Amino acid sequence: MLALSPAPQPQPPAIARVLDEASLQRLHELDPQGSNRVVERVLRAFEASLQRLLPQSAQALQRGDHEAVRHVVHTLKSSSASVGALELSRCCSEIENRLRTHQVDGLAQMLSALTVEGERVLAAVRELLPP
Amino acid sequence: MTPAHALADDTPGKPPEVLLVDDDEVNLLLTAMALRERGFAITESSGGEHALQLLADWAPDIIVLDAMMPGLDGFATCRRLRAMPGYENVPVLMLTGLDDDASITRAYQAGATDFFVKANQWSLLAGRLQYLLRASRTRIELERSQAKLARAQDLARMGSFDWRRAGPGGGSLMLSAQGLRVLGCGPGDNLGLRAILRLVQRGERRSVLRLLQGVVQHSSVLATDVRVALRNGRQRIIHVEAEPEFNEHGHGIGYTGIVQDVTDRRVAEDRIRHLANFDSLTGLPNRRQLVWRMERAIEHARRLGHPCAFLMIDLDRFKIINDTLGHAAGDELLMEVAQRLRACVRHSEQVMEGALEAVGSRAHRTLEAVGRLGGDEFIALLPEIGDERDAQRVADRILEVMRDPVLVGGQECFVTASVGIAIFPRDGGTVADLMRNSDVAMFSVKSQGKDSSAIYSPQLAGRGREKLELESALHKAIERDELVLHYQPKVDVRSARMVGAEALMRWQRGGVLVPPGEFIPLAEESGLILPLSEWALREAARQARIWQNSFGFADAIAVNLPSRVFERTQLVEQLHQNALAYGIPHRMVQLEITETGLMKELQSVIPALHQLKDINVEVAIDDFGTGYSSLAYLTTLPIAELKIDRSFVRDLGVTPQSSGIVTAIIAVARSLNLRVIGEGVESLRQMEVLHRLGCSLMQGFLFSRPIPPDDLERWLQQTVLPRRAPWIGQAGELDLPAPRVAGGRSF
Repeated sequence: MLALSPAPQPQPPAIARVLDEASLQRLHELDPQGSNRVVERVLRAFEASLQRLLPQSAQALQRGDHEAVRHVVHTLKSSSASVGALELSRCCSEIENRLRTHQVDGLAQMLSALTVEGERVLAAVRELLPP
Repeated sequence: MTPAHALADDTPGKPPEVLLVDDDEVNLLLTAMALRERGFAITESSGGEHALQLLADWAPDIIVLDAMMPGLDGFATCRRLRAMPGYENVPVLMLTGLDDDASITRAYQAGATDFFVKANQWSLLAGRLQYLLRASRTRIELERSQAKLARAQDLARMGSFDWRRAGPGGGSLMLSAQGLRVLGCGPGDNLGLRAILRLVQRGERRSVLRLLQGVVQHSSVLATDVRVALRNGRQRIIHVEAEPEFNEHGHGIGYTGIVQDVTDRRVAEDRIRHLANFDSLTGLPNRRQLVWRMERAIEHARRLGHPCAFLMIDLDRFKIINDTLGHAAGDELLMEVAQRLRACVRHSEQVMEGALEAVGSRAHRTLEAVGRLGGDEFIALLPEIGDERDAQRVADRILEVMRDPVLVGGQECFVTASVGIAIFPRDGGTVADLMRNSDVAMFSVKSQGKDSSAIYSPQLAGRGREKLELESALHKAIERDELVLHYQPKVDVRSARMVGAEALMRWQRGGVLVPPGEFIPLAEESGLILPLSEWALREAARQARIWQNSFGFADAIAVNLPSRVFERTQLVEQLHQNALAYGIPHRMVQLEITETGLMKELQSVIPALHQLKDINVEVAIDDFGTGYSSLAYLTTLPIAELKIDRSFVRDLGVTPQSSGIVTAIIAVARSLNLRVIGEGVESLRQMEVLHRLGCSLMQGFLFSRPIPPDDLERWLQQTVLPRRAPWIGQAGELDLPAPRVAGGRSF
């Protein structure tokens, strides 16, 4: 709710750790009056894509389809950065870089860490969105 | 944030259209919003396939592609759209990841215009898009202007070239595609200077090369026309124009210029020149061209001291052929005559102008020609003759070829020519003088029976000029009121009274009275006789009215008319008009025609005679007895009076033959019921004889000379009425009724 108000308010510590405040502030600046409900639309789009991509990455890993995994993390990398999920973005970036050089050791571990972080981000996003 | 209008496209009101393709919804949404914020019109697409569908019927100004996309990725999409017609040059910006060098390379390989590292720095992205759009626009404008130039050059059959002066290997020549086309080559052909020179016509090659060497040596401007034979065999005229280029030291380093196919223009110019210089009917040089040739010939003859000759050629009887057979036949005749005349000289179509300048060359021979001055008038120019016998020989040849019949409109025609010759320098020093004098010589031939030639002599000119002056003065005589009518009374000696008067024309030219014998023949020759006759008829009517008022004149004034006036349909109408205008009966103006004139044109005069009789205008036959009258005709002609020629009257009482003729004429007149009157009665003796033979009507010096109208009135008052003249006594003794004037009023 706070995120949808015209001026940014101090956020609960849990959210603050998951979503970067400066990034959220930039989103607000795209639509200072909130008339276009930009932040809501962006967050909803992110929520939808996160919900879709997280299971996709798990399935791709099971199939051993590293290219599909790579595509998921590439996409998540930039969109998570956009909404301020910096830790998630960093995870994606790390996985993408390893996959680019075909280092597959510990990939499963990294992906499960990514899934955990993804769920946290998802929760944080849902908190920001109106019911 | 920057306001939208500041960053948006330079064309106000129309934001640049962007197709934004990204599979990531968040990114797509954010980028789209950020760019809209900056004045772009964004169309979103979530994948390559979808984007290509959009592009099938809509063209954005710029396309932004995410490189990494499921399905058709950015590279494949870029490659596919570049293959679509119309998308060869649309700017495409590829969005890549940070430090992804491989993608950057792939982006360019796929045909992307530029790449952009994905980040949330929207202003940077917007700036990049603006830059690409501007570059694209500049490129489009350049392409358009190049296309326009190429089109314009194509239309003008023009192309450009660039020649660099070079080192040891010789110069290098670059021709634009249009330039190659002008020279008959395809865009890929390699055409060197040497190869081009080989296209130049063999005869001109050396002089072209010399010209080029001279131009390059002096770094001067090149402008020349060159005749070439292209590889496809076509003969063309190429205009070459080039300006030198210099390096910073002022040394000529080469030339830039154009080549242009000017063949059509030159052909048109040649055609125009031909039309301006040659007669369209006969193809012979026209007056303008002839004058030009004559001037050159005179120049040359003066320089080299030899004579040249002008032959003025005028066809005899051409007008008759034209009038009777029609203009088409006349034209046909002129064409045939032109052909024949041409064969009489060494006729040259073209003059070698350049060669004329060289002193002593024989090039002036090319001036020799026959030309058409207009109508049936031709002139032959002999640029060099030995003496006048050469000219005479050509004239004789001309007369000879003309004598053969000409077949015109399926009919054989005979035309002859009159040729007048004038020779430079003897007969004149200018074209004008020589043309006039050859004309004078030609006229002298005409007046002496035609079909001959004459060489000019000053005596001819004297006569000719006098005649010319007289003719032009006569033209103005009517409007200047210089013409007058004098009247010679006709008397009836039996009754001693005036029974009419003959009007005789006089010309008061600058205080001198010109006798009719000096200007009437000229007037007849020039056609002036028609207005002169009209004037005389009007003036006679006016005088009849004046006399009617002043002394009751009721007879007729006779006016002499040539037969051709009788042929004019307006004659009757004019007499009618005059009678009406002056309020006199038609019969108060009488007409006289000579016996010779009447008989010569009898058939065409007869209708007029009948019409005249119908309106009560009497006709007298003048100079009767000198011509060859057909008595048969005489009986049928509506004639009122015969006038015995003065030559018979003069000899009356001198030779017995003359009284015999007069007796015969009187007998004819009596039997045809015509009045008869004796002319030229100068003595009482002549009067007596005439009277005794049965003719009492007379005119002549015995009674009165032709005198001005006022004098005639005075003559009546002072001589006739008081019966003071010697002839009145004589006549009175013969017959003696009381003296009376016409009209029945006694004075």
